[in-house]
Amino acid sequence: MTATAQTVNEMAEPLVHLHDVAVGYDPEHPLIVDVDVEIVAGDVIAVLGPSGIGKTTLLRTIAGLVRPLDGHVELGVAPRGGVGYIPQRLGLVSNLSVQANVEMGVRVGLSRWYPPFFAVPKAQQRYAERAMEDLGIAHLAHHPVRILSGGQQRRVATAKTVAQRPKLVLADEFLGELDDDNVDIVMRTVRTAIEAQNSAMVMVEHHEALAKQVANRIWRIQDGRLVEELSR
Amino acid sequence: MNRNTAVGVGGLALLTVYLFFDLVGDWGRMAGGVDNLLVFIRESLWPPNWSVLEAQSYPVCEARFEFTCSVAWLGMVETLKIAFVATMLGFVLALPISVLAAGNLSPMVMAVPARVVLAGMRSLPSIIWAVLFVIVFSIGTLAGIFAMTFYTVGYLGKLQFESMEGIKNAPLESAKAMGMTRLETAWLVAIPESANQLLSHLLFMFEYNVRHGTVIGLVGAGGVGLYINTYLKLGQYDKVVALLIVVFLVVLVIDFISMALRSAVNEAGDVERPSWSSIFLPASIASSQHPTPMGGRAKEEGE
Repeated sequence: MTATAQTVNEMAEPLVHLHDVAVGYDPEHPLIVDVDVEIVAGDVIAVLGPSGIGKTTLLRTIAGLVRPLDGHVELGVAPRGGVGYIPQRLGLVSNLSVQANVEMGVRVGLSRWYPPFFAVPKAQQRYAERAMEDLGIAHLAHHPVRILSGGQQRRVATAKTVAQRPKLVLADEFLGELDDDNVDIVMRTVRTAIEAQNSAMVMVEHHEALAKQVANRIWRIQDGRLVEELSR
Repeated sequence: MNRNTAVGVGGLALLTVYLFFDLVGDWGRMAGGVDNLLVFIRESLWPPNWSVLEAQSYPVCEARFEFTCSVAWLGMVETLKIAFVATMLGFVLALPISVLAAGNLSPMVMAVPARVVLAGMRSLPSIIWAVLFVIVFSIGTLAGIFAMTFYTVGYLGKLQFESMEGIKNAPLESAKAMGMTRLETAWLVAIPESANQLLSHLLFMFEYNVRHGTVIGLVGAGGVGLYINTYLKLGQYDKVVALLIVVFLVVLVIDFISMALRSAVNEAGDVERPSWSSIFLPASIASSQHPTPMGGRAKEEGE
């Protein structure tokens, strides 16, 4: 990120602000404490650390799926459609087609009163088609997700989030099972989407080298604390 | 098996045997029972009276195939119609209630009353519902349809909400984080994700309702049961046996159709297609004849 962009980011309204948050499930034994960080537009944050240290729980806390044990999470994005979440197990509906899954992302951009029994309007369908084309899965549009390989399913999950156009993308090891070429395709598509939407991304990643390559901020979890290692 | 498990299993077995003997009481009542049964089978039940497959003498049959004027055909077709309508109505009515009852889709304040409604509808056996609706609508198919529908809602609703509660958490969490409404989550995530089980339960319920057509017919709620009831009252047990064999064959056909339909929402490898031997033989013997289930793993398209 350029110095100018960073200055703009520093001035921008945070998309998320974690105020002295304690993360975990057991109040007696929180996984991470005193998390006080902001996420602003343009951030691509990689969360690193060994297994079981609380990376996924931190992501789920930001997503609003886990209540913080202490402190609070201030979301500056719309509750509907503002957050795109790719869980470790992708969160796809295996019996539905690739297109139906990707269109779910588009659907949260519509009014909450738009009946789920109705098809997505043609104009919005275009976002889904574009995302599938960008991720190279357009030819699989009518296949049920359950018959796809792990790597293809990861691209479907990414396409769903790209089509959603959220202000904040939360991704849990979404680059796993992808070969080098597909990592490039996926990251390029996600980066383009993030820049176009002026949004941000927080990704939990095990491959440190890969994380440092794609992220402009690194959060390392160690000894129950979040340490910011890189901010460029 | 460790010692504690062995003691537990042994205790349960002893309790079962004790209660059984306690309930039977006087074994002397059974003297000659088997002989009596054999006489009854030989003189009254067997061979089945296949005249139930012949056209009735009145009204005069004008159909191309006389078989379609037979008691078996008319009764079975009516039973199938009642079972189909009741199953479909029950499915549609049960679905929203089961969404409300599923703990992972609705808060407990909604789930508990929904479960109470389903339990209430399930508590009354379909024959009691049939008695109630025969009082309301008098003898006939309408009472049968209502009786089966009410029971279906209670029974199917429970199976449905348990299926929905069994789906993976990731799609639900993704939907929640995205801000999807409860209705969207139910319609677009929970129902499609549990489609295989829902379809399986629907087909099972249809088969159950066809079988139960013989029971609710006993109180005059239409279908083949009405004929069975008549023959029972007249002591024509050989005709009853013939009709029960027809019901059995129809249930078998439904079973095969349901297997084919279920495979539509399943990848080929998900369904372990039962062989004939697995239906009629114990699992240990059947599996030795077919050491691996038919079909393979999920088809995977290479990257």
